[in-house]
Amino acid sequence: MGIDHRHVGYTLPKFTLTIAPERLAAFAEAIGEVATGQAMAPPTFLKVIEGEGGSSRRILDELGVDLRRVLHAEQQFEYFAPLRVGDVVTVERKVAEIYEKKGGEMEFIVIETGFFDAAGERRALSRQIVLVRHPKKREQ
Amino acid sequence: MTIDLNNARPGDIVAEFSPPPSTPEDLARYAEASGDSNPLHLDPAFARQAGFSDLVVHGMLNMAHLGRLLTERFPAENIRSFSARFEGIVLVGQQVGYCARLLEKTPDGIALELDGSLVGGGRVISGKALVAVD
Repeated sequence: MGIDHRHVGYTLPKFTLTIAPERLAAFAEAIGEVATGQAMAPPTFLKVIEGEGGSSRRILDELGVDLRRVLHAEQQFEYFAPLRVGDVVTVERKVAEIYEKKGGEMEFIVIETGFFDAAGERRALSRQIVLVRHPKKREQ
Repeated sequence: MTIDLNNARPGDIVAEFSPPPSTPEDLARYAEASGDSNPLHLDPAFARQAGFSDLVVHGMLNMAHLGRLLTERFPAENIRSFSARFEGIVLVGQQVGYCARLLEKTPDGIALELDGSLVGGGRVISGKALVAVD
Protein backbone atom coordinates (compact mmCIF):
# COMPACT_ATOMS: atom_id res chain seq x y z
CA MET A 1 0.00 0.00 0.00
CA GLY A 2 1.09 3.53 -0.67
CA ILE A 3 2.27 5.82 2.08
CA ASP A 4 -0.17 8.42 3.31
CA HIS A 5 1.00 11.72 1.85
CA ARG A 6 -0.28 13.52 4.93
CA HIS A 7 3.11 12.53 6.41
CA VAL A 8 4.85 15.12 4.23
CA GLY A 9 6.08 17.70 6.69
CA TYR A 10 6.31 15.20 9.55
CA THR A 11 9.12 16.45 11.78
CA LEU A 12 11.05 14.41 14.30
CA PRO A 13 11.59 16.07 17.69
CA LYS A 14 14.95 17.80 17.30
CA PHE A 15 17.89 16.46 19.24
CA THR A 16 21.32 17.76 20.22
CA LEU A 17 24.62 15.95 20.53
CA THR A 18 28.29 16.72 20.93
CA ILE A 19 30.77 15.32 18.41
CA ALA A 20 32.87 13.10 20.64
CA PRO A 21 36.51 12.51 19.64
CA GLU A 22 36.28 8.75 20.20
CA ARG A 23 33.22 8.43 17.95
CA LEU A 24 34.89 10.39 15.19
CA ALA A 25 38.05 8.29 15.57
CA ALA A 26 36.07 5.03 15.49
CA PHE A 27 34.27 6.17 12.33
CA ALA A 28 37.48 7.26 10.63
CA GLU A 29 39.01 3.87 11.41
CA ALA A 30 35.91 2.04 10.17
CA ILE A 31 36.11 3.74 6.78
CA GLY A 32 39.83 2.99 6.55
CA GLU A 33 41.10 6.52 7.01
CA VAL A 34 44.65 6.87 8.17
CA ALA A 35 44.48 8.35 11.66
CA THR A 36 45.77 11.87 11.33
CA GLY A 37 44.26 13.18 14.53
CA GLN A 38 42.33 15.53 12.29
CA ALA A 39 39.42 17.07 14.12
CA MET A 40 37.15 17.56 11.13
CA ALA A 41 34.36 15.08 10.50
CA PRO A 42 34.64 13.01 7.28
CA PRO A 43 31.99 14.02 4.69
CA THR A 44 29.66 11.09 5.37
CA PHE A 45 29.83 11.36 9.18
CA LEU A 46 26.68 13.51 8.94
CA LYS A 47 24.76 10.30 8.29
CA VAL A 48 25.94 8.95 11.65
CA ILE A 49 24.92 12.13 13.46
CA GLU A 50 21.46 12.19 11.90
CA GLY A 51 20.93 8.49 12.59
CA GLU A 52 21.50 8.96 16.32
CA GLY A 53 19.09 6.95 18.44
CA GLY A 54 17.74 5.03 15.43
CA SER A 55 16.07 8.20 14.16
CA SER A 56 15.74 7.03 10.54
CA ARG A 57 13.93 3.94 11.67
CA ARG A 58 11.62 6.00 13.86
CA ILE A 59 10.64 8.09 10.85
CA LEU A 60 9.94 5.03 8.71
CA ASP A 61 7.95 3.44 11.55
CA GLU A 62 5.87 6.60 11.85
CA LEU A 63 5.14 6.37 8.12
CA GLY A 64 4.19 2.70 8.49
CA VAL A 65 6.83 1.53 6.06
CA ASP A 66 7.76 -2.17 5.91
CA LEU A 67 11.53 -2.10 6.46
CA ARG A 68 12.03 -5.20 4.32
CA ARG A 69 10.89 -3.19 1.28
CA VAL A 70 13.24 -0.30 1.90
CA LEU A 71 16.40 0.61 -0.01
CA HIS A 72 18.62 3.63 0.44
CA ALA A 73 18.48 4.99 -3.11
CA GLU A 74 20.33 8.26 -2.90
CA GLN A 75 22.15 10.49 -0.43
CA GLN A 76 22.98 14.18 -0.81
CA PHE A 77 25.01 16.43 1.47
CA GLU A 78 25.63 20.18 1.38
CA TYR A 79 28.31 21.70 3.58
CA PHE A 80 28.19 25.33 4.70
CA ALA A 81 30.84 25.22 7.43
CA PRO A 82 32.95 22.36 8.81
CA LEU A 83 31.85 20.26 11.80
CA ARG A 84 34.63 19.42 14.23
CA VAL A 85 35.29 17.47 17.39
CA GLY A 86 33.61 19.09 20.37
CA ASP A 87 30.97 20.88 18.28
CA VAL A 88 27.48 20.80 19.72
CA VAL A 89 25.07 20.00 16.91
CA THR A 90 21.31 20.25 16.88
CA VAL A 91 19.65 17.98 14.34
CA GLU A 92 16.28 18.67 12.74
CA ARG A 93 14.77 16.01 10.49
CA LYS A 94 11.61 16.11 8.44
CA VAL A 95 9.85 14.25 5.69
CA ALA A 96 10.26 16.72 2.83
CA GLU A 97 8.65 14.80 -0.02
CA ILE A 98 6.87 11.60 -0.93
CA TYR A 99 6.45 10.67 -4.58
CA GLU A 100 5.99 7.59 -6.68
CA LYS A 101 7.17 6.16 -9.97
CA LYS A 102 6.13 3.27 -12.19
CA GLY A 103 2.48 3.59 -11.25
CA GLY A 104 3.16 3.18 -7.56
CA GLU A 105 5.55 0.23 -7.75
CA MET A 106 8.33 2.49 -6.54
CA GLU A 107 7.68 5.01 -3.84
CA PHE A 108 10.27 7.54 -2.70
CA ILE A 109 10.56 9.30 0.65
CA VAL A 110 12.86 12.31 0.94
CA ILE A 111 14.09 12.94 4.48
CA GLU A 112 15.73 16.33 4.90
CA THR A 113 18.02 16.98 7.85
CA GLY A 114 19.48 20.28 9.02
CA PHE A 115 22.57 20.45 11.24
CA PHE A 116 22.78 23.59 13.37
CA ASP A 117 25.59 24.76 15.62
CA ALA A 118 25.23 26.22 19.12
CA ALA A 119 24.77 29.70 17.61
CA GLY A 120 21.87 28.45 15.51
CA GLU A 121 23.81 28.67 12.23
CA ARG A 122 23.15 25.90 9.74
CA ARG A 123 26.41 24.03 9.12
CA ALA A 124 25.15 21.33 6.79
CA LEU A 125 22.15 19.80 5.09
CA SER A 126 21.41 16.18 4.26
CA ARG A 127 18.82 14.69 1.95
CA GLN A 128 18.25 10.97 2.18
CA ILE A 129 16.13 9.41 -0.53
CA VAL A 130 14.57 6.12 0.50
CA LEU A 131 12.99 3.78 -2.03
CA VAL A 132 10.07 1.65 -0.91
CA ARG A 133 9.34 -1.17 -3.33
CA HIS A 134 5.76 -2.26 -3.96
CA PRO A 135 6.03 -4.95 -6.64
CA LYS A 136 2.70 -5.60 -8.35
CA LYS A 137 1.10 -8.87 -7.28
CA ARG A 138 1.05 -11.43 -10.09
CA GLU A 139 -2.35 -12.74 -9.09
CA GLN A 140 -5.27 -10.70 -7.88
CA MET B 1 47.86 8.71 -12.26
CA THR B 2 46.08 11.90 -11.46
CA ILE B 3 46.66 15.03 -13.42
CA ASP B 4 47.19 18.65 -12.51
CA LEU B 5 43.84 20.38 -12.06
CA ASN B 6 45.06 23.45 -13.90
CA ASN B 7 45.50 21.41 -17.04
CA ALA B 8 42.49 19.15 -16.53
CA ARG B 9 39.73 19.20 -19.08
CA PRO B 10 36.15 18.00 -18.69
CA GLY B 11 36.12 14.21 -18.71
CA ASP B 12 39.66 13.87 -17.37
CA ILE B 13 40.19 11.66 -14.32
CA VAL B 14 41.43 13.83 -11.45
CA ALA B 15 41.42 11.22 -8.65
CA GLU B 16 41.38 7.44 -8.37
CA PHE B 17 41.17 5.14 -5.38
CA SER B 18 40.61 1.44 -4.82
CA PRO B 19 40.49 0.31 -1.20
CA PRO B 20 40.98 -3.37 -0.32
CA PRO B 21 37.79 -5.47 -0.47
CA SER B 22 35.72 -5.28 2.72
CA THR B 23 35.78 -8.24 5.11
CA PRO B 24 32.99 -9.29 7.52
CA GLU B 25 35.10 -7.70 10.30
CA ASP B 26 35.14 -4.41 8.35
CA LEU B 27 31.34 -4.46 8.14
CA ALA B 28 31.02 -5.23 11.86
CA ARG B 29 33.33 -2.31 12.62
CA TYR B 30 31.38 0.02 10.33
CA ALA B 31 28.05 -1.11 11.83
CA GLU B 32 29.38 -0.37 15.32
CA ALA B 33 30.81 3.02 14.36
CA SER B 34 27.83 4.16 12.29
CA GLY B 35 24.93 2.64 14.20
CA ASP B 36 23.64 0.85 11.07
CA SER B 37 23.24 -2.73 12.25
CA ASN B 38 20.95 -4.03 9.52
CA PRO B 39 21.50 -7.85 9.55
CA LEU B 40 22.02 -7.77 5.77
CA HIS B 41 25.53 -6.52 6.59
CA LEU B 42 26.23 -8.77 9.57
CA ASP B 43 24.36 -12.06 9.39
CA PRO B 44 25.27 -14.33 6.43
CA ALA B 45 22.15 -16.47 6.89
CA PHE B 46 19.92 -13.37 6.75
CA ALA B 47 21.77 -12.09 3.67
CA ARG B 48 21.23 -15.45 1.94
CA GLN B 49 17.53 -15.42 2.83
CA ALA B 50 17.35 -11.99 1.25
CA GLY B 51 18.77 -13.49 -1.95
CA PHE B 52 22.45 -12.52 -1.71
CA SER B 53 25.32 -15.01 -1.82
CA ASP B 54 27.19 -13.23 0.97
CA LEU B 55 27.13 -10.21 3.30
CA VAL B 56 26.20 -6.93 1.62
CA VAL B 57 28.50 -3.95 2.17
CA HIS B 58 26.74 -0.90 3.66
CA GLY B 59 25.92 1.57 0.87
CA MET B 60 27.11 4.33 3.18
CA LEU B 61 30.47 2.58 3.54
CA ASN B 62 30.81 2.67 -0.24
CA MET B 63 29.90 6.37 -0.12
CA ALA B 64 32.46 6.88 2.68
CA HIS B 65 35.11 5.38 0.39
CA LEU B 66 33.96 7.75 -2.33
CA GLY B 67 34.38 10.51 0.26
CA ARG B 68 37.96 9.38 0.91
CA LEU B 69 38.62 9.71 -2.80
CA LEU B 70 37.72 13.39 -2.32
CA THR B 71 39.44 14.07 1.00
CA GLU B 72 42.69 12.44 -0.07
CA ARG B 73 42.81 14.81 -3.04
CA PHE B 74 41.21 17.99 -1.64
CA PRO B 75 41.01 19.63 1.80
CA ALA B 76 37.81 18.35 3.44
CA GLU B 77 36.68 21.88 4.32
CA ASN B 78 36.64 22.75 0.60
CA ILE B 79 33.90 20.23 -0.20
CA ARG B 80 30.69 22.17 -0.76
CA SER B 81 28.39 19.36 -1.80
CA PHE B 82 28.61 15.62 -2.24
CA SER B 83 25.90 13.26 -3.44
CA ALA B 84 25.65 9.62 -4.35
CA ARG B 85 23.19 7.32 -6.02
CA PHE B 86 23.34 3.68 -4.92
CA GLU B 87 23.14 1.66 -8.11
CA GLY B 88 24.33 -1.79 -7.19
CA ILE B 89 25.25 -4.20 -4.46
CA VAL B 90 28.80 -4.85 -3.25
CA LEU B 91 29.45 -8.10 -1.40
CA VAL B 92 32.26 -8.77 1.05
CA GLY B 93 35.40 -9.75 -0.83
CA GLN B 94 34.53 -7.66 -3.90
CA GLN B 95 36.84 -4.82 -4.79
CA VAL B 96 35.55 -1.47 -6.02
CA GLY B 97 37.48 1.09 -8.02
CA TYR B 98 36.45 4.71 -7.46
CA CYS B 99 37.25 7.62 -9.71
CA ALA B 100 36.47 11.31 -10.04
CA ARG B 101 36.26 13.02 -13.41
CA LEU B 102 36.23 16.73 -13.99
CA LEU B 103 32.75 17.81 -15.04
CA GLU B 104 33.37 21.54 -15.26
CA LYS B 105 35.19 24.45 -13.68
CA THR B 106 32.83 27.03 -12.24
CA PRO B 107 33.40 30.33 -10.41
CA ASP B 108 32.59 28.45 -7.18
CA GLY B 109 35.09 25.68 -7.73
CA ILE B 110 35.19 22.46 -9.66
CA ALA B 111 32.34 20.09 -10.29
CA LEU B 112 33.26 16.41 -10.29
CA GLU B 113 31.49 13.33 -11.55
CA LEU B 114 32.07 10.34 -9.29
CA ASP B 115 31.94 6.67 -10.10
CA GLY B 116 32.47 3.41 -8.27
CA SER B 117 32.55 0.15 -10.19
CA LEU B 118 33.36 -3.42 -9.28
CA VAL B 119 36.77 -4.50 -10.47
CA GLY B 120 35.77 -6.58 -13.46
CA GLY B 121 32.68 -4.54 -14.26
CA GLY B 122 29.37 -3.18 -13.02
CA ARG B 123 28.76 0.25 -11.59
CA VAL B 124 27.66 0.23 -7.95
CA ILE B 125 27.64 3.93 -7.10
CA SER B 126 27.67 7.24 -8.93
CA GLY B 127 27.69 10.76 -7.68
CA LYS B 128 28.66 14.37 -7.90
CA ALA B 129 30.69 16.77 -5.82
CA LEU B 130 31.42 20.46 -5.85
CA VAL B 131 34.80 21.40 -4.41
CA ALA B 132 36.03 24.95 -3.84
CA VAL B 133 39.55 25.51 -5.08
CA ASP B 134 41.87 27.85 -3.20
